[in-house]
Amino acid sequence: MERTELPVSKRPLSSWILASGLKLQALLLCVILITVFVRVLPLEMQKRIVNEAIRAGALHLLFVYCGLYLAAVLIASGLRYVINVLQNAIGERALAQMRKELYHFILTLPLAFFRKTQPGMVVSALVTELASAGDFVGMAIAVPVTSVLTLLAFAGYLLWLNPLLAVISLGVYPMVFVVLPQLQNRANVANKHRVDITRTLSSRIGEAITGIHEIQGNGSFRLENRRFDDLVDGLFKIRITWNLYRFAVKVCNNLFNNLSPFLVFIVGGYLAIKGRLDLGALVAFLSAQEKLYDPWRDLVDFYQAYQDAKVRYRRTMEYFDAVPDHVLEPDKRKPHDLEGSVEVKDLSFVAEGGVQLLDRINLSLTPGEHLALIGFSGSGKSTLAQCIGQLYKYTSGHILFGGKEVAELSKRDMICNMGFVSQDPFTFEGTIRENLLYACASRVEGNGCGTSEVLPSVDDMIEVLQQTGIFVDVLRFGLNSILAHDEHAELASRIIRVREQFRRDYGIELSNFVEFFDPSRYLHYATIAANLTFGSPNRPSLTVENLPTSDYFLQFLKEIDLPLPLLQLGAEICTQTVDILGPLPPDPVFFEQSPIAPQELDVYRQVADRLQKVGITALAPEDHQRLLELALRFASGRHKMVALPEPLEERLLQGRIRFREKIGKDDPGAFSFYEASEYIYSQSILDNILFGKVKTVNPSVEEKINQTIIQVLIQEDLLETIVEIGMEFQVGTMGDKLSGGQKQKLAIARVLLKAPRLLILDEATSALDNRSQARIQGLVDTKLKGTTTLIAVVHRLDIIRNYDKIAVMKAGRIGELGTYEELIARKGILYELVYGKGAGP
Amino acid sequence: MPGKGSSMSSSTEREQGPRVSEFQANLEILRQLQFFSGLSLEALKLVAYLCARQDFRSGDLLFRQDDRDGTAFYIVSGQAGITRDEEHGGRVLKTYGKGEFLGGLALVCDMHRLFTLRALTGMTCVTLTRDRFTKVLEQFPEVTAKVLQTIAETIVVWEQRLLTGEGDLCEVCGRMAGMSLL
Repeated sequence: MERTELPVSKRPLSSWILASGLKLQALLLCVILITVFVRVLPLEMQKRIVNEAIRAGALHLLFVYCGLYLAAVLIASGLRYVINVLQNAIGERALAQMRKELYHFILTLPLAFFRKTQPGMVVSALVTELASAGDFVGMAIAVPVTSVLTLLAFAGYLLWLNPLLAVISLGVYPMVFVVLPQLQNRANVANKHRVDITRTLSSRIGEAITGIHEIQGNGSFRLENRRFDDLVDGLFKIRITWNLYRFAVKVCNNLFNNLSPFLVFIVGGYLAIKGRLDLGALVAFLSAQEKLYDPWRDLVDFYQAYQDAKVRYRRTMEYFDAVPDHVLEPDKRKPHDLEGSVEVKDLSFVAEGGVQLLDRINLSLTPGEHLALIGFSGSGKSTLAQCIGQLYKYTSGHILFGGKEVAELSKRDMICNMGFVSQDPFTFEGTIRENLLYACASRVEGNGCGTSEVLPSVDDMIEVLQQTGIFVDVLRFGLNSILAHDEHAELASRIIRVREQFRRDYGIELSNFVEFFDPSRYLHYATIAANLTFGSPNRPSLTVENLPTSDYFLQFLKEIDLPLPLLQLGAEICTQTVDILGPLPPDPVFFEQSPIAPQELDVYRQVADRLQKVGITALAPEDHQRLLELALRFASGRHKMVALPEPLEERLLQGRIRFREKIGKDDPGAFSFYEASEYIYSQSILDNILFGKVKTVNPSVEEKINQTIIQVLIQEDLLETIVEIGMEFQVGTMGDKLSGGQKQKLAIARVLLKAPRLLILDEATSALDNRSQARIQGLVDTKLKGTTTLIAVVHRLDIIRNYDKIAVMKAGRIGELGTYEELIARKGILYELVYGKGAGP
Repeated sequence: MPGKGSSMSSSTEREQGPRVSEFQANLEILRQLQFFSGLSLEALKLVAYLCARQDFRSGDLLFRQDDRDGTAFYIVSGQAGITRDEEHGGRVLKTYGKGEFLGGLALVCDMHRLFTLRALTGMTCVTLTRDRFTKVLEQFPEVTAKVLQTIAETIVVWEQRLLTGEGDLCEVCGRMAGMSLL
């Protein structure tokens, strides 16, 4: 990363031209010089064709000059292309650089900045607003230089042809310089307004969409509409004004350009008639004149683009012109290796608007000591933790971490020595493993922390998964994955052994909760397609996705008269699902038990509409196809919106026998039928172990199945392999495939993996159930006591007994500080919190 | 009850007519519950869709004292009883049976259980968790106010019954009065 003196938000637009790659710019200049020469050549050829070749009737000269003319034109076009490519490369490079640096900068801005910033704002700044600045940087050298040089070359040529004529026809241009900037200035002012209004508009929209429940809850449609409409009207007016000036610039420019041929005709014609100018020169003059227009227009366009880019760029950068509270990297030294003591002296924190959130806080912790911060919400306990964790910059007083002032430490110093788990830990899109390594990876990243660090091993990761109690969840993700056909042959055969073991030991006990793959029974937890084929396909044309379009399979359905009942079922599923899920956002919770995926909902909504209008038989073949697809993936045990009609169930069972007969005759190897001795690649690992599907969502039964499977996996030494597969589970955008508890456990796991000297937990266990919370508290009390300094913001009072110190906060101050026993004995605030108001003697 | 195959008792119902989807069955149940009485049909459908069916064997725990399981139960069949850990021998304080709905409060706030709920016979319940109900509230914000209204009314009626019914008989009740003044 390039180090620049100025923060990115203060850099002028022109600085990016230099930063965009001098080599490319130099190359571009060379190409431009050649181009200019090649451009003038045809003019001279024109003159000679008329004067020398045509007049003298010299055919060979005509060919030579025309040949040169053609060559010059071809080369000029080719070079034009090269210029465009180079220009674009420079522009894109500058844009990429701008985006990166601005993004890097934005991430370091104080949290307070983000409180009043809509994410949409940042998105549009980085994605759209900067684009024009990037384009400009690409043009910044190429266009003016090409245009000016071309203009000069043509002008020089004209002067050489006929000075008088040249002076007259070029005399128009200086006038343009007077009028144009004035118009442009007005356009700029309008443009500035436009950018501002557009910005207000986007944040208005963003706010309305995020707060839509409030609007609908209050029925404040008119109010909101009025606010929005006013903005749109304002935007409408300003856009019209802006464009009026822009068009005026264009028109004015055109006018001047068209004026000069007029001058050439009248003066040049006069001179030609008087015999003071030969015809060839006049032709050359006229075409040179015409050619002046292109570079001139480019120059004017460039001027406009420059003005536009300048305005947008400044506005964008001004918006982000805040100062990061802390420097990122230490200045010319290694990151500090801090010991885990914390000393808070007269600490105060006044937020914007003069609200005093913390008021003269004093406390100190020796390395390894544990402090619990308690108090009502708003008492400042989280703020104190965040100030110590360098998330907020305190306004007065001192926090010494390992003897160093926290405000003066770099971010790197902090992350090398401290771990922070926030109230609402964020999980990023990616796998469990990536999220688990998030804290460690960012410590290793860049310059590291001085010591030779490596990422934790798989064993370390599994250990923290167990400690935080998310192990079983991850195991479950692993069990739910589907193995790729070829990659895991060895694992597959071991899973078969697990299956046998499981059947032997627990088959009878769990038979109530598992629907075993039994060829003579309908499987309610498997899809209709799986019920019919009762096997996993070995031909690409017969995979689950391709089955509904496979001619072979459709033919089979016809043979057993299933298409119509399946269509009817598909229609019912479609109508019901669309009715229930119609307007809902694509939240996994809503789609968990829906056979329609979020991205398909729109299509099926239209199908449902047509279904209602024209009826099932009149639907188009594509719609039939879609309904059939839906029916085939319907699993009656999971998709509860529709019941599977009993007669259809019977016919599907018969269909299973017919399918086996048919495919056995036509293509015996096409399917591996579910056999207790074969791994089923189309099903999850869990289903393979059970050789069936779990029938219930009852947590205690799931727990029981988990426990038995863990035991069997341990016996076969497969537990860690499956957990490793589970760590590859994709957690979804913002981790939306994880529960709140899982996210918190993962956040604690990732900070434990980092093993910092100072650990700050800001209500880190609030979403956990009792047992998980107790487990983590146990871990804190045994493993971290004496080794890791801990500051925990705690919302529950039953877990604070073992802390070395308890600080009870009230209105930004520490009301009481001491051990649990001391504070209870004092019968102060803690006593009241624990035993209730007015309790006691 | 399609696809459940597990409980033998329901197979007799099945033969009497076409199968009803679990969603429809849940919707019928919810429409009769006071707790959900303020919900629009749209919201109710979503709730019905997000409910689950669970079978319990006699002796299974539905939740434990101090759990924060955040689940509400509607008893389709069977019986359950509440106990408190402090009571030696696990005396059943109260029993719940077919058609009763309990645990609604856990749908709106994160609270710990004051009782343990244990299946006294084999049971089938329709269950709903707070996580899922919260999703409904996000989609239909007006529901929150209605549910709160219902809860508040229930508290008032409860205390009124306590005061006018057994209030005089129970000296302790008088001293602890004020639940509805919360």
